[in-house]
Amino acid sequence: MDSDETSQKKTSEPVSRTLEKLLNQVREAANHLNYWNAYKRIKKLDLESLNIPDEKRIKVALLSSFTIDPLGIYLDIKSRLAQLYPEIYIAPFNQYQQEILDENSGLYAFKPDVIILAVQADVLLNENFISDFVKLSDVEKHQTEISNRLQAILSMLTSRTDAIVLINNFIVPSFTPFGILDNKAKSGLRSFFQGLNQRLAELYRKSNQVYVVDLEGAASKHGKSRCLDQMLYYRGSFLFSESFLPVIADEYMGYIKALKNLTRKCIVLDLDNVLWGGIIGEDGIEGIKLGVDSPGNAYKDFQRVLLSYYNRGILLAINSKNNPDDAMKAIKEHPHMLLREKHFAAIRINWQNKVQNMIELAKEINIGFDSMVFIDDNPHEREQIKQALPQVLVVDMPSSPFLYRQTMENMNDFNILALTEEDKMRGEMYHARKKREELRESISTLEDFLKSLEMKIVIKYADEMGMPRIVRMVNKTNQFNATTRRYTDVEIGKMKEATDQFDIYSLQVSDRLGDEGIVGVAIVRKEPKTWTLDSFLLSCRVIGRKVETAFLAKIVEDAKEQGVSTLVGEYIPTQKNVPVKSFYSDHGFEEFSREGNLYRWRLDLTKSTLEMPEWLDVKNG
Amino acid sequence: MASAEVKLKDILAKVLLIDKVSDDMSRKSVKEWDSMAHLMLVSEIESAFEVAMSDDDIMEIQTVGDIKNILKKLGITI
Repeated sequence: MDSDETSQKKTSEPVSRTLEKLLNQVREAANHLNYWNAYKRIKKLDLESLNIPDEKRIKVALLSSFTIDPLGIYLDIKSRLAQLYPEIYIAPFNQYQQEILDENSGLYAFKPDVIILAVQADVLLNENFISDFVKLSDVEKHQTEISNRLQAILSMLTSRTDAIVLINNFIVPSFTPFGILDNKAKSGLRSFFQGLNQRLAELYRKSNQVYVVDLEGAASKHGKSRCLDQMLYYRGSFLFSESFLPVIADEYMGYIKALKNLTRKCIVLDLDNVLWGGIIGEDGIEGIKLGVDSPGNAYKDFQRVLLSYYNRGILLAINSKNNPDDAMKAIKEHPHMLLREKHFAAIRINWQNKVQNMIELAKEINIGFDSMVFIDDNPHEREQIKQALPQVLVVDMPSSPFLYRQTMENMNDFNILALTEEDKMRGEMYHARKKREELRESISTLEDFLKSLEMKIVIKYADEMGMPRIVRMVNKTNQFNATTRRYTDVEIGKMKEATDQFDIYSLQVSDRLGDEGIVGVAIVRKEPKTWTLDSFLLSCRVIGRKVETAFLAKIVEDAKEQGVSTLVGEYIPTQKNVPVKSFYSDHGFEEFSREGNLYRWRLDLTKSTLEMPEWLDVKNG
Repeated sequence: MASAEVKLKDILAKVLLIDKVSDDMSRKSVKEWDSMAHLMLVSEIESAFEVAMSDDDIMEIQTVGDIKNILKKLGITI
């Protein structure tokens, strides 16, 4: 009967191709039926034969007070569309409390990376709560009761797992028994839920493990009357309608992508019919459409959203076929341009192939294609980039500029789990870097150049302020990274507390052209006579300025002070960390052991010492 | 516009993961036809044919033939 199994035996099609075919079915028509079908069929494939790297795996557990299976389907397929290999665990219907309380539950055995806890307000309240609401005397008491109850469950959960926990806030009901008087009443039903949502957000504002997902916001965006399918709700306790499922799944995917480092860092933009209407080479600076009238106002609005991303740390770059003089004149002089030369980390305006430009931009900015987004109004250019550079996220731009802003606002690819000071400064940092490179070209020796920068570095133990940035660096740095060990913020937090076993150092660099913020992290594992560099990593932004030597020298100094006799440097080669290959040997370490791909180098601190580079002004924080 | 027959077959094939559809296929004989799939089938059929089945009808569906009979009862030529 189950022809699927027999057909799989017959054809020996590689699993990866079957998977791709099923996903294409969803890409072509993203409807509920195709999601369901792809999910069920993929479940039958033997994906373990594919040798999936750990960083592409994600385990998501769903706990809820209603039928959440359909959300599992969407998260599964959407994760796969983002090149991940998810495993989904769905707790038995309405048993979220038992699952959390019982140490031996399926939830904990599953060892999730992400736990989605989706609970309706109705379940936490008395089921006739809304019926009786008008008569309730002390509604605040009920808010406290709910938030206390959630807090109790969540603190149990977070004490037992390091997974990221996503709880939703509550949909503010459209119906209220007060009718038009809801906000005249001493405590209206809507303000009850709004207040509850605010409390919830406040409760976890500082948490780096629990995130409050804005279900209320997602529902408003979609239209609350369309979020629930009454038939499916009454017959099967489904809370999310077919049309709402992709919307709410995208909301959750924002967190999953951020956790799996699928965050995009740079938006590469075409110019004509993207940043302005018309063609600068033909219409001239007076003729292009950008300003207060339609459609120029739509282009200006599009620039506004790009600028808001820029201010949050997303880099912008240009890849355009144009005469550079014409285009730069518009960028510099057009009165309605919001994005000026200083906003772009790198610029390619020429007549060469856009793929080639893209490769050059990646090199100049020093980011991977998997961090880049490409925006172009021309479908042929988009197709070319898709074909040649599949890791680049190519946005299918709508044909009308009126929809540009919305398309940009709907992207969930720029999310990070914590925003750092470095993020907000990033645009300026890249501008400073361009200036630095110009300076370098004008000065003949490297040493003179480094001296001219007047570099200052601060090395200190990790503190609260720096933690988000440290966690990000540990999880993102590929090139100058001795071991490429990834730790979640919960794990790093625990190491930071265990001061008898670990020291976590951070390195900050600034020079006369700008502040780079935290650009280096070292995690030291301490034993009485031996310290081991478990992790040692540096942002590629500062490679080649000898700050790594200063960083290492400081750790050597500290170790000596504590009477340590041996400093061990661990090194695990990867395809990307070539820059760190000779780091330990360059600094006088000798290799003494190798287990699998883990190499260990040591420095005898009773005999050796490390010189601080003289042009660095080193401060201890 | 696809015929009612084709539309129904497409839904059954995709929900139940079967290649060929016949009237005698039943909830007992098709492995994938569990309660979740049943609800999915009903929901997809209801929206594709713009009809509403009664809860009694839904409970009574055991085979593909039963679905066709209910659709006929609801005025769909199939």
